[in-house]
Amino acid sequence: MVCALAGTVLAACLVACTPVGAGDATPTPRRIATASPSAPTPPPALPTPTIDVPVQSGALSAPAAAVPPVRLRIDALGVDMPVTDVGIEPSGQMELPVDPAVAGWYRYGPDALSEAGNVMLAAHVDAPDYPIGPLARLRELGPGATLSIDAADGSSRGYVVESLTFYDKTALPTAELFAREGAPALVIITCGGPFDPTTGRYRDNVVAIARQQ
Amino acid sequence: MRKTAAAGLAVGIIAALGFAMPATADTNGSAQLSVLHGIPDTPVDVYVNGELTLDDFQPGDLAGPLELPAGDYEVALTATDAADASSPVLGPATLTLAAGSNYTAVAHLTEAGEPGLNLFTNDTATTAAGEGRLTVRHVAAAPAVDVLAGGSPVVEGLTNPNEATLNLPAGTVSAAVALAGTTEPVLGPTDVQIQDGVLTIVYAWGSAEDGNLAIAAQTVTGLHSSPDGVPSGSAGYLAQRDASTAFLMIAGAGVLAIAVAAGAVTVVRARQGASR
Repeated sequence: MVCALAGTVLAACLVACTPVGAGDATPTPRRIATASPSAPTPPPALPTPTIDVPVQSGALSAPAAAVPPVRLRIDALGVDMPVTDVGIEPSGQMELPVDPAVAGWYRYGPDALSEAGNVMLAAHVDAPDYPIGPLARLRELGPGATLSIDAADGSSRGYVVESLTFYDKTALPTAELFAREGAPALVIITCGGPFDPTTGRYRDNVVAIARQQ
Repeated sequence: MRKTAAAGLAVGIIAALGFAMPATADTNGSAQLSVLHGIPDTPVDVYVNGELTLDDFQPGDLAGPLELPAGDYEVALTATDAADASSPVLGPATLTLAAGSNYTAVAHLTEAGEPGLNLFTNDTATTAAGEGRLTVRHVAAAPAVDVLAGGSPVVEGLTNPNEATLNLPAGTVSAAVALAGTTEPVLGPTDVQIQDGVLTIVYAWGSAEDGNLAIAAQTVTGLHSSPDGVPSGSAGYLAQRDASTAFLMIAGAGVLAIAVAAGAVTVVRARQGASR
């Protein structure tokens, strides 16, 4: 509707503006401009955005629930242990299940179905009044060993050990080990090295990193 | 002529913008800008520096994030059938964006019910491990409110267009909004997930008088920190067992050594005996 109106206005202007040949001695046939087909450009259409900006509903929605690992198996070590989700201790360190026979999964990091980052599992190597835990043997794990986790949705994932490293606990590269981006991996941590009875702590963390198969 | 100039400017904006990034904390010296449309019943077009940027933007929707070079941006909202930004329904307003900052521009009603535009800066500082951050913004045509968590006020006397921020342990909060000094919800209660390393921004928008108060939400991820360590062994039993095993091995070797020595002595004596 806007276009038609503008076209008419434009055509009327041109007709009105065509000079009627005052001063011409010889009347020559005059080409009178019309509104088509050599009409001037039609009026501009509505603009379209110059870039593509993502737009979503602002409605409050719950994030997708994580799928936790529920079992850890390491055949080479005879390890077949349950996994429970854990968070942060008041001290700011990762929480661990009290019983060394149960591994903890850091619930704020990648879950068992993540396509990126490190699924983080840890267990005590020992604890007062409990038998020595299955991960006491973690230090025997070598590159190339296979292990797997079962997820809460019934699926399983296999991994291949890439490295086994002892770190002084004070030098544990936590940002790197707790990474949420990067190629998907499984990190298993327990303690090792010399034990200091005055502090009740082992000096080292034993860290196994396994890449998703 | 206008088309050529527009194309040139568009190229400039596209070059500066790159591609849209996920809503993570900005780290590289540009600014991040999201836009929330909080004016009920009024779809708009949004122009930034004279260029149409959001077409037919609906109330309650969230656009972005856009990554933009730091600087001033002129923003205008027009009717959706406008040909340009010459007759805005709101603005033009100049938004100043600083490098490294994360913003949400909100078109909303003032307490008196007039349309307005506000630029909020989002708190994207790193969160403590196991914690998330909740920001609540009052952008509704309504008087002062209290924000309730689990039925008790955690923010009191919040007015339009202000905000309050809380760092909270990760988990579920049953959140509601009530008129200040009361506990009868005018919005909610509704479950809000506080996630580790995530800023969750909740907006109360709309009009109390028109009965269309609503909640909108936005998240910014990537603010998390790692635990300080993994304290995985506290009894020393393994160390003791290792020590015992080593002792037995040494003791065993010692016994073997003594046996070998004894055997050698016996042989020597036997020879001596034999040679006599």
